[in-house]
Amino acid sequence: MECETQRIALGLRHRDVVVLEALVEQYQYRLVRYLVSLLGRRDGVDDFVQETWLRVVERSGSYDGQSRFEPWLFRVARNIALDAMRKRPMFSLDSNEGEGVRSSPASGEPSPYTLAARTQDAERLAHSLQSLEPVYREALVLRFQEDLSLQEISVIVGAPVSTVASRIYRGLATLRPQFEGDTA
Amino acid sequence: MNIDYHDTFQRMIDESLAGVLSAEKEQSLREHLSTCATCREYLSASNRVIAGLSGFSFEVNPTFNARVLAAIRLQAEEGRGILARDTWTMRHHSAQFKNWAAFAVALSMSFVGSGLVYQMAERLTVPNHFVTAQVQAGVLIFWLLPSLCAALCLLAAPGENRGNA
Repeated sequence: MECETQRIALGLRHRDVVVLEALVEQYQYRLVRYLVSLLGRRDGVDDFVQETWLRVVERSGSYDGQSRFEPWLFRVARNIALDAMRKRPMFSLDSNEGEGVRSSPASGEPSPYTLAARTQDAERLAHSLQSLEPVYREALVLRFQEDLSLQEISVIVGAPVSTVASRIYRGLATLRPQFEGDTA
Repeated sequence: MNIDYHDTFQRMIDESLAGVLSAEKEQSLREHLSTCATCREYLSASNRVIAGLSGFSFEVNPTFNARVLAAIRLQAEEGRGILARDTWTMRHHSAQFKNWAAFAVALSMSFVGSGLVYQMAERLTVPNHFVTAQVQAGVLIFWLLPSLCAALCLLAAPGENRGNA
């Protein structure tokens, strides 16, 4: 693993186009999925994705290859999204949990989760996932879709491991009732 | 079994899913699950949430990747140009600094050496059949003054050329 991360770090340092192309191919979809979970909307995500890759090239020297590439990439993407949200205060991610203003699609637009649901379980989750606090949704996606450890998530979101764990438990607790009592 | 008892194990299920439960507690949880339908139901519902999260597929415009790749290629090429220029400037300045430092050290040693010989002129006169004043004049004319001139030239030279002195 370390060999792979060192190879990525070296490629980034030299702004090696072959390495950059491979990274885009490998992480593009995951970046889209993460940003949708963060913003709760699909429109505008492509701009953030492109901005993230440009920032990756610009700050390529700051990835040292000592840890996995994904947490570093997601942290870059998160910072860009947060900066944009600060400029547009109608969206907030790090507001007080439970009281935060939710990022959501414009009224009348279907939720990105409703449009993207491909399984029955996903269809059942779509609505509650959309109304879930972004910080919980983000923690669930990073843990269960990106398969990141709590320590890695903690680095991305800039919160203690105990807070990350608490967000995962609360997120699961909010979504679990959808499936309780099901024998399927 | 009371509710608190289930709560304890359900908390352990959450911790297990988050990846923070110790191996010892995992074993204890497995044993409990084999006998408790309520906690099995809790685990099953949690697993369906996790499975549900994987059931979303967001569409990505096929031209989007090409657009991103074109943008980063351009940025990478610009960046490489800057990087190459920075590296050249750094090396150039580094070589200049080394030359300048070596010259300054040589000059300082020359000053110290000539100063010492000047002071010891009296001891050098007897074996070489010179008078003290002759030795001191020689040191001044052929050693100390040239060193002083070199130092003044070094200080007067513009910064850019100083390293090449």
